Amino acid sequence: MQRYDIAIIGSGPAGLSAAINAKIRNKNIIIFGYEDFSSKLIKAPKINNYLGFHGISGLELKEKFKEHIEAMNIEITYERVNNIYAMGEYFSIMVNETIYEAKSVVVATGIEYTKPLKGEEEFLGKGVGYCATCDAPLYRNKIVTVIGYNKEAEEEANYVSELASKLYYIPMYKSNYELRDGIEIVQDKPMDIIGKDRVEKLILSSRQLETDGLFILKDSISPAQLVPGLLMEEGHIKVDRTMKTNIEGCFAAGDCIGRPYQYIKASGEGLIAALSAVSYVDSKRI
Amino acid sequence: MMKEIMDSNFKEEVQNQSGVVVVDFWASWCGPCKMLSPVIEELSNEMTIAKFTKVNVDENPQSSQNFNIASIPTLLVFKDGKVVDTMVGFRPKAELEQLVKKYI
Repeated sequence: MQRYDIAIIGSGPAGLSAAINAKIRNKNIIIFGYEDFSSKLIKAPKINNYLGFHGISGLELKEKFKEHIEAMNIEITYERVNNIYAMGEYFSIMVNETIYEAKSVVVATGIEYTKPLKGEEEFLGKGVGYCATCDAPLYRNKIVTVIGYNKEAEEEANYVSELASKLYYIPMYKSNYELRDGIEIVQDKPMDIIGKDRVEKLILSSRQLETDGLFILKDSISPAQLVPGLLMEEGHIKVDRTMKTNIEGCFAAGDCIGRPYQYIKASGEGLIAALSAVSYVDSKRI
Repeated sequence: MMKEIMDSNFKEEVQNQSGVVVVDFWASWCGPCKMLSPVIEELSNEMTIAKFTKVNVDENPQSSQNFNIASIPTLLVFKDGKVVDTMVGFRPKAELEQLVKKYI
């Protein structure tokens, strides 16, 4: 397997700026993101505080970014990164069925993740989980609730229902749910998770469910879930001036590290993160 | 080297031991467990002062139930036969090392 020098997670201004700077420094990079780069960017009607581009719209700025990375032969990998594991000398980047490897990582995922439910963090590993397929066999003949934020969650719910004695599915989106017979769909808003030593009940706005296990399957996950072991501070990734996180070889830039949430701040941080990653990779090569 | 523990010898190998014993609850179908295994394996070679063991939850449901394992991977740290710390999910080596060091 080829091991990249730097993997960049996110294609907003921070990620793209990290990519061009790492490329200028001749590093072998991979950047994960979206065709639109950033949903926030294309929605901005007018931007007056990006130096050099007075009065530009988000869409126009996106086109400028596109021209820039194309001119530098940077290709974005349109895949969703599920997890990044710090293996020591390198990082394993899990993308559905594929695993990529990189010597260093720049996290530039923006700030869009939903807030945890009340009790979610307290009961993590005590009934609350994020990987239903991982933990399903521990819930054989028990009651399980799945809070699903997307279609993929249905597949996991179907799998768990084969083992659990009862499965509640709480969809957080509208669709035709492709769920196995016997799964009870609960159209209600989750409020609070309660229990003593482990999860006992999920409180919804108009009913309560007794449950042994609770899986929360979200669309966007917090950086600490994306990179297990990553240190957060008040909802943002903790970094120093060089954009270094608490994990060696892992850097972060943009909205995910803190306010203000601005394009040119994100770009600047992406530049710093890329150069720090370059020095890190170079220092490892003896 | 990490020793494989079964339901049948859990008491003898973990609870009746003095000093620090780390138990990694895992299963072959769990992705994060597969990632964590080589990391702990590496640590076990460096920290010979503690005993590192692993329990396959598929084959040993009793041990997982006794210790309320609700997610895997879960690491339990035993000191003189008692659980002193729990860690759920993958963690980088440096963090695992700190966790074990606290009890040595």
